Amino acid sequence: MKRILIIDDAATVRMFHRGILEAAGYQVDEAVNGVEALEKALLTPFDLYIVDVNMPKLDGYGFLRELRNQNLPQVPAIMVSTEATADDRRRAYAAGANLYLVKPTRPEQLVAPIALLLGEVSP
Amino acid sequence: MTAIITDEDFQKFREFFYRKTGIQFETSKRYFVDKRLLERMEATDNKLFRNYFTMLRFQASGEELQTLTNLMTVNETYFFREEYQFKCLVESILPELTAKRRSDKPLRIWVIPSSSGEEAYSIAIYLLERWADINRFDVEIMASDIDTRILDSARAGLYGDRAVSHLPEAYRRKYFRRSAAGYQLIDDIRQSVEFSRVNLSDRADTRPFRHVDVVFCRNLLIYFDDVSRKAAAETFFDALNPGGFICLGHSESMSRISSLYRVRKFPEAIVYQKPTE
Amino acid sequence: MALIKTPPATHETARHAPEAEQASRRDCAHLLQQLNDPNPETRRWAARDLVDCVGVSAALVQHLTRETESSVREVILTTLVRLGDSRAVAGLVDCMRSEDASVRNEAIEALKQLPTEVAPIMRQLLSDEDSDMRIFAVNVLESLRHPLVESWLAEVIQRDAHVNVCATAVDLLGEVGSREVLEPLLRLKDRFAREPYIQFAADLAIKRIIEG
Repeated sequence: MKRILIIDDAATVRMFHRGILEAAGYQVDEAVNGVEALEKALLTPFDLYIVDVNMPKLDGYGFLRELRNQNLPQVPAIMVSTEATADDRRRAYAAGANLYLVKPTRPEQLVAPIALLLGEVSP
Repeated sequence: MTAIITDEDFQKFREFFYRKTGIQFETSKRYFVDKRLLERMEATDNKLFRNYFTMLRFQASGEELQTLTNLMTVNETYFFREEYQFKCLVESILPELTAKRRSDKPLRIWVIPSSSGEEAYSIAIYLLERWADINRFDVEIMASDIDTRILDSARAGLYGDRAVSHLPEAYRRKYFRRSAAGYQLIDDIRQSVEFSRVNLSDRADTRPFRHVDVVFCRNLLIYFDDVSRKAAAETFFDALNPGGFICLGHSESMSRISSLYRVRKFPEAIVYQKPTE
Repeated sequence: MALIKTPPATHETARHAPEAEQASRRDCAHLLQQLNDPNPETRRWAARDLVDCVGVSAALVQHLTRETESSVREVILTTLVRLGDSRAVAGLVDCMRSEDASVRNEAIEALKQLPTEVAPIMRQLLSDEDSDMRIFAVNVLESLRHPLVESWLAEVIQRDAHVNVCATAVDLLGEVGSREVLEPLLRLKDRFAREPYIQFAADLAIKRIIEG
């Protein structure tokens, strides 16, 4: 079973994503910010990250950067944010995100792309 | 007439105590706190909380505040508690720190809170027994606590059965002298740790601690509120050398406290490192 | 080589520490100057000691926006929270508008620690032109222990046009809401009938309020 780490400081958002992903058959874990996410990622490998941009202590960009610094496996990362400009999008992809979604997210924006990113479906 | 402590009294005391020591009490600790306040009120012959509180705030010597603080801080520990961190120290942290270090530079370890000394002495024993390079480097172990009474106890080095129960029998025999009073730690170890009184929230107290290589701050920050916890993390940041490490208690994480440190995972534990320059 | 001992006060390093003088003797003007020192450690100690000075909040906020070292920024923020005066709060609110995400996030975290000081201007913040500011304002409410929090949040979900501002407010209502906000929550659901996240969050809040 593929493991996905949901990283967001808002509990409701984590719950929302958890519901969608568990229904799609994934194993889900949560972290409240980039620091906690790193601690978890260092302990057990994940197959995909869904990471919010705006979080206290260590934000989405900081997390992606630290993943690289720590030589952790580069698995797919979906970045989620309230910002909707083309600049933000560009920045996210430059930081290594595979996908950039604007909040509020919808199930259809997640399930199929995740399956694709995890190689479970051929494009 | 029995003395009472009103809700308002409790709030005022909480705020004052927090400001002075950085330690905060949840309302669920009400019973715990009241009991000790009443005890001190009786000991100081103050029938009204108001009078005791005034004394507490304005006494020049600060003796009563110290006595009260000693009563309020709970200390339960034993030798080799959370041993995996000591293992991490000798098998991962120290090897990394000494890889590029000249052997004439001492390594400095700071244990805070020291409590009754078990943790600091455990480190001393672990280093002597389990660190291959103990003969190549000088190590300085400093241990601090806000509670002067517990510091006296730590310096004395006398322990009961429970404290030593997790030690291998061989270490008990080697490092302690058994008597009717309990297990007396041998002088060599007792004298290898420098104990000092430190209030982590007091800048004047923490200022002299510099160029530390490893900080052990286990199960203390959980008693602090968010601001004090953050301030403590910042204090340790300046106490540490670049590349120095800090170890928290097993249920604690830097994630709620500060992002200044790099998360480092070693086989034995997750610890936090001050970035190298 | 072995275990050795040297009392902290006699340490060579302590004697040469940049702040060797007593804190009380460190002149506040001098400390403010030290905020410009090239050594980040010196700046951190200055920022730390400035907590004992008066009227320095504005200067600290100024430095906050120019400071490149996050470790120094963190100490400045801790001091600002401890000072907690209206200048500190005003300055932190300005930081919420920063282009720099880490400055913004740090300011929000700091403001969360200053509930009473932030309360008087909360209304203003919640009606800011910038929807991001309104989101941040709701974020600050997260740990605010203030009797008006619920009514502020209720107003947001009734009046705010922006879905993410409402989303952030609904999150919080799940924790602090009472039956008073059930109506507004139902109307919010109608307003954003095709937004799954709003439906989810509102249902969650309603459930929690009903179950008490």
